[in-house]
Parts: sequence; C-alpha cells; structure tokens
Amino acid sequence: MKPAAFPGRAGFSLVEGTVALVVTAIMMGALTSAMGSLFQSQAQPQVSFQSHAYSLAPSFQNFRQAVDLHAAFAQTVDQADNVIVIGGTRSHPTADPNGPSSALAETFSATSLTAAAGSDAFQGFSSWDQLELNGAQLAPYLTTHPDPADFTILTVQGQSHITSITQQRRYTAAINGQNVVLYEVTLQAIDWSSGSGVPTASPLTGSNPTYFYRTYYNASEDAWSQPPGATHYWYRTDPAWDRDQEGPTRVIFADPYVLAGQDPLAQIAAVSRFSYFLPQTR
Amino acid sequence: MKPGDNRGMASVAVLLFAIVAMMILMANFKLNSAVAASSDAFDAYNSQLVEKNGIAQIVKESVLAVGETALAPSGNSLQAEIQNRLGSMNFPAGVTVALGAAVPALPANPFFPSVPPAASQLAYFSAAPRGLAGMGGLLASLAIQGPAVDLGRYVFTFARTDSNSPNDSQTYVVNADLFSVPLTDVDVVAYGLPATGSIPLAAPAVPVGTFGSGVSELVVTSNNPASDPTAWPDLYAGSGPETLPYQFRNAVSFAWNAYEYLWGAGYQDAILGAAAGDQAVYDFSGANNPVIAGVSVSGNALTIDCSAVQSQVVAIVDAEGVGSVSIEGSPAGGNPFILLIRNTAGSLGQTQVAFSGNNHRAAIFYLENAAVTFSGSPQIQGALFLDRTSGATGTVTWFGHLSFYAAASPLGTLNLTLEDAPAVKNALSALAPRVLLVSTTATR
Repeated sequence: MKPAAFPGRAGFSLVEGTVALVVTAIMMGALTSAMGSLFQSQAQPQVSFQSHAYSLAPSFQNFRQAVDLHAAFAQTVDQADNVIVIGGTRSHPTADPNGPSSALAETFSATSLTAAAGSDAFQGFSSWDQLELNGAQLAPYLTTHPDPADFTILTVQGQSHITSITQQRRYTAAINGQNVVLYEVTLQAIDWSSGSGVPTASPLTGSNPTYFYRTYYNASEDAWSQPPGATHYWYRTDPAWDRDQEGPTRVIFADPYVLAGQDPLAQIAAVSRFSYFLPQTR
Repeated sequence: MKPGDNRGMASVAVLLFAIVAMMILMANFKLNSAVAASSDAFDAYNSQLVEKNGIAQIVKESVLAVGETALAPSGNSLQAEIQNRLGSMNFPAGVTVALGAAVPALPANPFFPSVPPAASQLAYFSAAPRGLAGMGGLLASLAIQGPAVDLGRYVFTFARTDSNSPNDSQTYVVNADLFSVPLTDVDVVAYGLPATGSIPLAAPAVPVGTFGSGVSELVVTSNNPASDPTAWPDLYAGSGPETLPYQFRNAVSFAWNAYEYLWGAGYQDAILGAAAGDQAVYDFSGANNPVIAGVSVSGNALTIDCSAVQSQVVAIVDAEGVGSVSIEGSPAGGNPFILLIRNTAGSLGQTQVAFSGNNHRAAIFYLENAAVTFSGSPQIQGALFLDRTSGATGTVTWFGHLSFYAAASPLGTLNLTLEDAPAVKNALSALAPRVLLVSTTATR
C-alpha cells in the first residue's frame, strides 16, 4: 500500500534514478577514499626494537607521553642546582670540539654522584668538569660509538643528589625490509623526600623509567631543521684560574607529533617543540 | 521488492555511512584538537616557568639594590625597587603581575666593625642550619667555601591574572634566601673596581704552583675573546656594550662590588674609627701618637710585633708616604686582629711594609698604597688585602686569603705559594667584611 502522504508518486524517473546512482557512486567513492586515507594516517604501525615497542610518528599516544615527560623534565630542571649534559657536540671546546661525545649507558641508575660530594664547588661549572670529577663513577657507563642525537642529562641538587636521569637515544635499523630511525626518550625521576634517593615508578606501567616515549620514522623522513641532540656552548676555559665556565646547552629532543620529520618540499622546516636552552648551573 | 522500499534502504545506507564518516571525522578533529590543546598547555606551562623565574630575578635584583655590599645601595624601599622593575616588564596582552601587599622587611647584614652574627660552616643537606641544596649552584659554590651566616628566607607573593585565559591566573611565590659570606672565605680574589677603577679584561698570569690544592680562586673577566683569550665567542654578542651573562651575578657581587665598598672611604673610615676607639691609631704625620701595645717606633719606622698586639684593630696612617712598617710574625696563635695601613699620599710615596717571621696568629692586613716585601720566606696565616696601588715582592707561603686589584697583580713579582686554610677562615670570619648573597626560587 502506498503511503497516503505521497499520493501520485510512483518512483524516480529513469533520468532521476541514473543521476542519483551516479551521484551516490561518486559520494561513496569519495568517502571511501577519504576514510581510507584517514585510517591510513591514523593507524599506528609499531615495530619492536630491543624489546620495546616504537610507534610510527606522528603518534598521539607518544605525544601525550612526551608532554608528561617534558613537563616533569622542565620541573626537575627548574629545581636543580646543576644540570649535567653528557654527550652531544662541543662537550669541551678544545678537548672535544666536534663530538659526538659519549652519553651514559641506559643502565646507569645511580642516585648519587659519590665522587662530587665535598669537592670544590668552583670546579663544577661545566658538564665536562663534572664528568672528570666523577670520572671513576661515570666512566664505566660511557657509551661507545655514540650517535650525535644521544645524550644523558642529570639534574643534581647539592653536589651529589641526582634528581632525574634523562636519556635520548637514536638508533638506525632495517625492520621488515624498511630502513627506519628510532628515537627513545626516557626520564627516571628520583625522589629524595625520604632522605634517600628512591627511583619513581611510571604511573603508566608501574615500573621504571618514570616517563618515556619511543617513536620511529622512515629513514628518509628523519630530516630536521635542528636535529635532535645536544650542543654545548662555552663562556670560558681557563686552566690557570681553574675556570671551565660552560654556558647553556642547547638540547633538542625528538618530537613524536606534528613536526616529526621534514618534508623536503615543505615551506616550514621541522623543529622539535621539545627544545631547551639549559643552564649548566643556576 | 517495491521501488519505494529500495529507495528507503538506500537512504538508510547512505545515512549510516554518513554518520560513520562524520564520527570518524569528528574523532580526527578531536584528536588534532587535543594535540593542539596539549601543546598549548605545555607551551603555557613552559612560558610560565620562564615568567616566574623572571619574577624571582626581579626580587633578587631588588634585594641586592637595597642591601648589596656595594657602594651606595639604593635608598628606595624594597617594595619600590620591586615595583619599579615589575613596571618595566612587558607581559602578554591581558596579563598582569602584581606584588602582594605584604612585603617582608629585609634583615641587616652587619659585619665588623658592627657586631656580626656568628658564622658557621653551611652544608648542602642539613636541617639546622638549613642546607644550601636547591638554592642554586652559583650561590652555594660561594656560600660553601667557609663559614657563613644564614640570614633567613623571605617570602614574596605575586598575583598573576590573565583576563584572556582565567585558567592561567596564578600565584607566584618567590622565596628569597639571604646569606652573608665573609670575603675571606674565597682564598684568592683578583678583584675589579667597576666604579672607581677598572674591571679585569683578562685574568692575571699565575706562575705554576702558586695555588695549592683546594685553593678557591675568583676572578670575573670580560667575555670578549678579543679582551680575554680564555673566553669563547659562543655566546658573546659583539655589538654594543658588553654585558656579562647573569650567571656571573653572584661572582660580580663578590669580586667587584664588595671591593668597591671595602676600599671606599666609608668602610675604611669605619675601621679607622674602631681603631681610634681602642686608642690604636698611629699617624706618621701626627705630633702626638698613643702608645699602642705591640707597636714600637723609631723615627718614621714602625715595628709591629704580632704576638704583642692587644687591640682588635691597629691602624697606621701615612698621609705623606713617609713611613715604613715592619711586621714581625707571631710564633703562637692568639686572638685575631686587624692591621690597617692607610696611605692616602697617592703619588707622594708608598708606605714600605716588610713582613718577616712566621705568623701563626691570624690577622687581616689591609694595605693601601703599600710596597710590600717578604723576607726570609715566611709562612703567614691571615688575610692580605692589597689595594689598587699596592705591590709585593719576595717569597712567602700564605695560609688564608689574598686579594689584589687584578690590574695590579703582584703575582709577577711575588714568589707566592698560597694554601687553603679553613682554620684561618674561621678565625677571621668575625672581623672580615661580608658579602650579601641572594638566591631566589619561585613556585607557581
């Protein structure tokens, strides 16, 4: 029975039907294509490297973790008496002018700089001096064949209390026949409120490190206007007056979202939002 | 199936498809929106960290303006100093930062000849006196070198309001930690006089072996590699007047400004006044000089036996540059004292000062326009302050503090071995001038 509300309508004409069909087909095709692209862009391929999962950038999940990590990092830097940056370029203007210099291995987990306690406070005005001062403790952890993007950042209160250990590592690998570049950033917070250094567990995983993100790029996309890594800047080196005075270190972390990777044709160069100018002493 | 049913099914299918597509598009939009919001929040967090630290720096500079050990600190109130600096700041549109009504009164920083509070060795981690950790390595590195006085923590609050983003309104709390540090805590200071002399462009040459193990050395020089070959151009701005990075603020307080104050007429007169109160001023130009224990006179030659000095301050005035002073060391310890040799003769002549014999009684020697010699390679405990026109020759092993005008370094003519001596620092802390150092940290 016909609906009473449509008296006299028997259906589309042939022309109407054909047009409707064509329009619908075009719409469906466009939507399918759009959603296909959307799904492709939103899908989060992951690879496993050294027992950790790395997400292809851009990754929203990684970005959230990165924001958490860098909020904690900014705070711990703000409260530090000294910020020791190990690795990168120009760790010393004459002794290591080009780098890349060694970072500390990710197995480094000490909560104190034992050698520094009680040392001459004037001798700690550069990461280079700190590395020498604590050489016996740190030297076994220095990495071999470091990548220019690798660094370790220790935030220190007093001369000895390490309040955080932040690491960045860059790896290159061929995974599933594809050349990729992987970035790993971790922050291990250390809580001294009890009087002794206690590593803080991750609120996500319940284990160490406290914060992390791991992301990867196709090797061809790992191009940055300011490459991730650390660059040391110096005010002065003066052996006669024992003045190794380091200025702020420019530290650039990998950015897992939005500006990850640089399109060679893009008008705007890729720059990580997680970039810092860290004073070695404050 | 009737045509109408087909049309209905097609419509429903299109509708469902459209809804799903819309949901996916919405989800994508929200994802990007969330990224943007998180990014903005992170940027706001970082910018407020910078902002609060800028406010902390305003407080520090305001405290120093009022109370720094320097020539002519400001006569303004602390509140006015903070307001002046705050008023010159540019904040983002809609943002205001206002100083809270309760501005604490700052403590005095008394030191000799006023009665100073007792100094003690501070630590990085300690409950009482509180530890220095968290107050910054630049302050702690100076405050840890010897005994110092914790003048306390003073709290300032600032209300930050943002009319465009009420959620970004904050209260900044700035903690100002004040410390009074004797100048004698740092073993060697090659000082500059930015107002009455010059600042050292480059550090003086130091013969190998001059400074013993653990000796702390302080000199603040130009950042311009053309002036100081030890400087690197990494962060040097070549145009305009040279501005030292803020990293050197505490060091400048210690190595420049405090010496302006120390050698200024006000402080020199205060020491002279203290000696006069003890009847212990000898004036080479004076007709009637008092008898001073430990001081013997022969014409224009004085001999000071450090073991026999009884006054806390002995002052020798040589306004014509005609005098000579022999200082004989004390083989035994005793109460520390100050010896001021004040020569205002300028180019008329220097006072000849000769040290001989080992000295185990810690003393502060302020020598103005003096030609100093050491004979017999003595070992001397004390603090030797040389003014901008004094020089020194001979051989000496000095235990304690030495400071000299960088542009008139005695290290080229003096065969010096200098050793860190914590006991001497302790002994002299009650008599030494003290530098006000400030650490400010802010929370939000």
